[in-house]
Amino acid sequence: MESILEVRKLIKRFGGLTAVAGLDFDLRQGEILGLIGPNGAGKTTTFNIIAGAERADAGDIRFAGEPILGLPPHEIARRGVMRTFQHNRPFAGMPVVDNVMVGAHTRFRRNPFSPKASREEAEQRARAEALIDFVGLAGLRDADVGTLSFGQGRLLEIARALAGEPRVILFDEPAAGLTGAELERLAGIVRGIAQRGIAVLLIEHDMRFLLPLASRVVVLNFGQRIAEGTASEVRSQRAVMDAYLGDAAAL
Amino acid sequence: MRRLGWIALFAALAALPFFLGNYHNDVYRKLLLWITLALGYNFLFGICGQVAFSHFAFYGIGAYSVVILLFQVGLPLPVAAVLGVLVCALLALAVAIPATRLEGFYLALVTLALAQLFIVVLNEGGAVTGGTGGIANYRLPAIFGWRIAGPAYTVVIVALLAATLALLWRLERSWFGRACRAVRDNPEAAAAMGVDVSRIKVIVFTLTSVLAGIAGMVYAFVDNTVNPPIFGLDNAFLLLFMVIVGGAGRHAGAVLGATLLFLLPFWLAPVVGHHHQLVFGALVVAAILVQPKGLVGLWNRFSR
Repeated sequence: MESILEVRKLIKRFGGLTAVAGLDFDLRQGEILGLIGPNGAGKTTTFNIIAGAERADAGDIRFAGEPILGLPPHEIARRGVMRTFQHNRPFAGMPVVDNVMVGAHTRFRRNPFSPKASREEAEQRARAEALIDFVGLAGLRDADVGTLSFGQGRLLEIARALAGEPRVILFDEPAAGLTGAELERLAGIVRGIAQRGIAVLLIEHDMRFLLPLASRVVVLNFGQRIAEGTASEVRSQRAVMDAYLGDAAAL
Repeated sequence: MRRLGWIALFAALAALPFFLGNYHNDVYRKLLLWITLALGYNFLFGICGQVAFSHFAFYGIGAYSVVILLFQVGLPLPVAAVLGVLVCALLALAVAIPATRLEGFYLALVTLALAQLFIVVLNEGGAVTGGTGGIANYRLPAIFGWRIAGPAYTVVIVALLAATLALLWRLERSWFGRACRAVRDNPEAAAAMGVDVSRIKVIVFTLTSVLAGIAGMVYAFVDNTVNPPIFGLDNAFLLLFMVIVGGAGRHAGAVLGATLLFLLPFWLAPVVGHHHQLVFGALVVAAILVQPKGLVGLWNRFSR
């Protein structure tokens, strides 16, 4: 299958520490790729560089063949790479539906004074409401975001990112802080997103959540790829066991 | 139906000056101008979350620009008006582009400095600005032989308010307004959603500063005098208080806050004389501590 996102020879140093040391991997169209590794392996740094929140020292990232490394976050979002935040970052002064509509920001074509602006606004509102239903927040469309539970806030993050009609969606530890029932629901939503043809990149600590979900995983340690393959392929590799020593039970 | 309601409201506001005497026309004009200013400042501060203290200075820059261009340079009114807008826009861009790229605090500092510098320039401007005495004894030039004066000029101010409200209303209820509020609530998340945060800040600062400048141009022919004390920091802070007391982030809040704080001194004068500032201070502290959503928030709470 064709790659939608290609990461090549990515390097990021923080002072004397090399957080990402020549990382290579591909995200293919329609797949769910898990990026895993022990703490400090460079997962979050890689994530932030792809999303444009941090700069890299060297390397190349291509989205649909176009270089995107070094572009500001809003430009990366505009091109079709949307993200969620590990610590929910809602827009607190707006109801749920408006939060999701901010996600559609780059999809608006009309200027606000155009006579057709109100029709476009209504269309985008309908789309936002459909996405709210898709993530399972129906009934909370007009709720104040302050009244949402942590888990509902996470679902709002996902609906908001989907509103940008992404071709790639980046999840930053989506399972963190969720209950068992919420995890099952989240897994269903992630599968639904992949079925829509959106490529999913997941950074995750929770192996019990990730391994059944991911079509492929890339294992990082010390900023490098130490293994790659399906969950069962990776699980049996010695290097992965060593990297996770002490956490082997989780695998 | 709703459109008809708005038309009726503004028709009534436009008719009112013809039933008022000279004194009340003057009070009414200034109330309308304060509401216009508060609406623009609310968009900048309440909706887009930008803490700037230059809004009232731009009101002064607009007023002085049009007066200087008309009577010191001798340009015709339409040219002076267009150039005045241009002066405000260029100055706003010059402040906003460097300041909004930094974090919010710097915009506050830079705009405070601009407001102070403006007063210094006015006082030291010699023959151009008229120095400490300002410029007085001029009249609105005739347009095609027509000289707008008296209640008719009040109608011009009603039209200014209507146009300002219509513009900001439309913007606020669009993707642009949502992006502004997203920038206020969480700039990092806004950027991740595709919002060009610095661009939004620069556009909103420039737009609202130009609106303040236009209001200033209109004000220049209300008192037919411009001088430094009118445009000092007292009024810059009064504008901030109006938006906070009324309810930052809502057009209705700006209208309520401006109306209340503008009229309050008239009612308080017999009671506390010139010490109404004390009452304002108490109101602002009360709003921030007890009701951060201002009078509009109170209204929402009790109407539920």
